[in-house]
Amino acid sequence: MDPSLYLDRDTWVHRLDPRTKMFLLVGMFALPFVFLNPLYELAVLALVLFFGYLAQSLTNLRRIWFILLTILIVTTILWSIVGSGRTPLFLFVEREALLYGFSNALRIVITVIAGMFFLSTTRNEEVGIGLVRLGIPYRFAFAVSTALRLVPTVVATGLTIGQAQRSRGLDLESGNIIQRIRKHLPLLVPVFVTTVRSTNVFSMALESKGFGARPERTYFLRTAMSGRDALVIMGFGALLAGCIALRLAGYGGLEGFSS
Amino acid sequence: MKEVFAMWRHTQMVVLVALSAAIYAAVLIPFKGFPIIPGYIELRPANAFPIVFGLLFGPAGAWGAAIGNLIGDFFGTLSLGSIGGFVGNFFLALLPYKMWSVFFRRDENMEENVDSGKKFGVFILLVLLASAVCSLIISWWADLIGLFPFLLFFALIVFNNAIMGGVLGPILLLALYPRIKRWGLLWTEIVEPEDASSSRLQRTGAILVWVGAIGGTIVGLILGFIQRAPGNLGVGLGLIPFLLLILVGSFMLGVREQVESVEESMAAEGEESRA
Repeated sequence: MDPSLYLDRDTWVHRLDPRTKMFLLVGMFALPFVFLNPLYELAVLALVLFFGYLAQSLTNLRRIWFILLTILIVTTILWSIVGSGRTPLFLFVEREALLYGFSNALRIVITVIAGMFFLSTTRNEEVGIGLVRLGIPYRFAFAVSTALRLVPTVVATGLTIGQAQRSRGLDLESGNIIQRIRKHLPLLVPVFVTTVRSTNVFSMALESKGFGARPERTYFLRTAMSGRDALVIMGFGALLAGCIALRLAGYGGLEGFSS
Repeated sequence: MKEVFAMWRHTQMVVLVALSAAIYAAVLIPFKGFPIIPGYIELRPANAFPIVFGLLFGPAGAWGAAIGNLIGDFFGTLSLGSIGGFVGNFFLALLPYKMWSVFFRRDENMEENVDSGKKFGVFILLVLLASAVCSLIISWWADLIGLFPFLLFFALIVFNNAIMGGVLGPILLLALYPRIKRWGLLWTEIVEPEDASSSRLQRTGAILVWVGAIGGTIVGLILGFIQRAPGNLGVGLGLIPFLLLILVGSFMLGVREQVESVEESMAAEGEESRA
């Protein structure tokens, strides 16, 4: 299992400043919530997928297609039950509630896909620098990017410990879900201990390299906002404003739905 | 809450934030394959970690739990709901360490372990409180932005947090506490007393948190039952006073006494070993 989602491609999306990508991510979280009508949500989904195509990151969707599909099904069913509308469809389900359920499922799917594309096009180091450039304190940004970088290491430690236990006869594969979870639990303590044991050495290594010695920092990885970034931000800002104006003008709603 | 921000001055605490976040995320990710409601919530044995992180690493554990949950979301479920997850998990780790010393007198052994009946009882009580608060925050947010109905989400998150925290938490704490203490990584040993918030209003803070958690749970369940579908502000507005009580109460919960108590016991141990 590879926990890293970053795809090393040379596309204009990858070359955008991390702040621009964060702005796009927040915008893509907001955009689906402007509309209620599933047709409009489908248009937003098409836009996000087109963006993923430009970023050559659609391949990562294969990793989460099952989650996306289940979100679509579960959310649509759930809202069809708890919501209500005017037009009876079958049993106690009304047409508007079903449409709203589908629309809400699309909202969640869009935000999950947008998050996936962000991570597919942004390196951990860029996430850290982007946060700092946005005014987040360096130490916090450092903790976030270090944690992101350490996840594969901790997973690898867990796998190594699992293999060591298996070689001593621990059977992690057989049994039902509960039994399998129970068998994995004894691995938690060694994973924790192995990882946390390095804290003091890690801290000394950081301080010996001047961590926190000066308030102003310089970075090996240089990022800068370019004309392309400004164009993308303005373009997406205009799109978002246009969608809000469209909604205020009465388009993209869902008549007859009530919760 | 002074120590929550002052801790960033200590390199060890920054490293502990990163390591706790990485451990939490690394244990969360494989269990995404064991869903309760597919796409929304899964069986999370890792939920025992924030409570243990909180007790061992204090504010570093709280930040670590919040960041770790966010990173876990990066692997398939990052959405607007992740904001609620960040804050909820922060409080899941924050409240156990903030509330711990409320149950002990200053001259009592306040070590955050479960090696006595009283400490085990306090631990279980804090697991229930922190689980309820974490669940209130996440379910309230999910309901407010129209992601998921409050009632079901609340019940599932409380179940996940309380069962995992209550069953696995004591085992983890018993196994880990002696090692963490030996390595000098307990938050009470790293944070200076002057970096910790004053304990003057601790009792009042604790009462506010309990009232907020219990009141929020009752009112949330009633409103959630009446409202059924999310996004129409019933739960969204109704729970705000209780969430504010929890927030204000958390600010009033001081931990300086706890840090000083550990310093005193360490000094006493030092004198004993010299003698």
